[in-house]
Amino acid sequence: MKKKHQGLWSLLFLGPHMILFILFFLIPAVFGIYIAFTDWDLFGTPQWVGFNNFKEILFDSKSIYHTQFMNGTRNTILFVIFTVPLCVIVPLVIATMIQAKPKLYKLFQSLFYLPTLFAVSAVMLVWSFLLSLSYGPLPKWFGLKINITSTQPWAWVALVLITVWWCVGQNLIIYVAALNGVPVEQVEAARIDGAGNFTIFMKILMPNIRFPLFFTLVTTTIAQFNVYGQPLMLTNGGPNNSTRVLMMDIQNNAFGAGIPTAGMASAMAVLLGLLIMLVSVVQFVVMRRQD
Amino acid sequence: MQYSKATKIIFFTILAILGVLWMFPIVWAIFTSFKSNDEIISSDFQLLPQHWTLDNYKELTASNEQTPVFKWFLNSLIISSCQTLLVLVVVSLAAYGYTRLQFKGRDALFNFLLATMMFPGVLNLIPNYKIIDTLGWTNTFLAVIVPGAAGVYNIFLVRQFVVGIPHELDEAAIVDGANEWQIFRHVILPLIRPALTVVALFTFTGAWNDFLWPSVVMTDVDTMPITPGLQLLQGQYLTFPGVVTAGSLLALIPMLLLYVFAQKYFMQAMALNSGIK
Repeated sequence: MKKKHQGLWSLLFLGPHMILFILFFLIPAVFGIYIAFTDWDLFGTPQWVGFNNFKEILFDSKSIYHTQFMNGTRNTILFVIFTVPLCVIVPLVIATMIQAKPKLYKLFQSLFYLPTLFAVSAVMLVWSFLLSLSYGPLPKWFGLKINITSTQPWAWVALVLITVWWCVGQNLIIYVAALNGVPVEQVEAARIDGAGNFTIFMKILMPNIRFPLFFTLVTTTIAQFNVYGQPLMLTNGGPNNSTRVLMMDIQNNAFGAGIPTAGMASAMAVLLGLLIMLVSVVQFVVMRRQD
Repeated sequence: MQYSKATKIIFFTILAILGVLWMFPIVWAIFTSFKSNDEIISSDFQLLPQHWTLDNYKELTASNEQTPVFKWFLNSLIISSCQTLLVLVVVSLAAYGYTRLQFKGRDALFNFLLATMMFPGVLNLIPNYKIIDTLGWTNTFLAVIVPGAAGVYNIFLVRQFVVGIPHELDEAAIVDGANEWQIFRHVILPLIRPALTVVALFTFTGAWNDFLWPSVVMTDVDTMPITPGLQLLQGQYLTFPGVVTAGSLLALIPMLLLYVFAQKYFMQAMALNSGIK
């Protein structure tokens, strides 16, 4: 029974989402790119300034926005480089052990997943007290007489390790599910051929879960490029702006104290967006080539 | 039997050590929230409180005008529940529409929606603020409830489920004289409940944990949700770790409860998300 065209029903079923999508995605997406080419202050009428914002951000070494952007981008990229490999490898290793089904493996899986569900602000507050020189047990145990969150390289170490602690769960569940899907016969055949655990991991498990691995690599990278809450709550970008990430500057230029420079902030957002897309495309191409 | 007993014991030991490390911050926070301030500051570390006290929680309830934590908690509850409800309605309708309704350009439209998921979300932050401001929604719950329902991913997820439902079921209903709404309501909706559970869980946790967006559009202390609110609590009680820890735990409790009761669905959902079955 072939149905006829159903204009009215389509409106009823697709209309609600379409309205929201246009209002809160499509219009903002177009408008966001447009205002990057203006001197908009968030409230007045935007004036077209062409590529001036981008020129200033990228090349004008006397401009505060140039300094912000260079520092913020550098720290954001550093954050991605430090956290992404750990956020893939650590859960992969844990998943491999869980997949062997030792005692209590289900409990372990739940434990490692738990932090993922917690709000960034709550997590960072608890950690900042754990690390605090005056109140926290950690500096005492490690015999550190310094304030971890305001001394490098400790601030970076803390930021990265806490992020790994926080985000391992998501990828872990994906890897466990993927590893459970690997055909048992392949593993058993390899065992008969005398393969050890490590060989099995590299030669059989890894190739079998290559799609989820790639999927998580891309999603993790995108997520970490958008880092904002952790450095804001833990180090407030310090010491000396050495952990200040680009999202903090974008937020602050648009919504912080002082006159909003939303045009400039949007231009930074466009550049960050381009960077994220570029990295995703490169990852995609590299993965394709290896296949 | 894929792994030897010795291997399993080694794995168990490593996992147990890691597990203790993983849980330590949470356990520490729970006990710390029941300690007095003097005890927290005192130099020798003890996990358990020597004198259990509810002072920190009392301080939170003492309806402080700058940091009404329990009000934030309630706000978050309302916001997350409403967004979940809205998303469920919008997503299930759209998922039905993009699979069962016939109109010109349907699949092209859906593919376009999918393609927009590649667009970096960071760009929408500032314009969305302007739209909320223009609608007069700043500092109202609408500002944090409604935009979250514009996403495409959930539709994609639920649509996959609807695609898997055989058309014979629809046709039987059509023979009985059902219209599109009745097919949706009585045939499709009951069958996509597992997918909708997953969507509901992730929408609720996502809304509860959202930080950047509410901190931009919800600056009023009375309507603020708890996740950005904690930032104010930190500023207010900088030298009272017990109070801040108690407040943070309050923000974690709903997620903990949800996880305990819906763990199965979280695990299914994550596996579903990775695109493998």
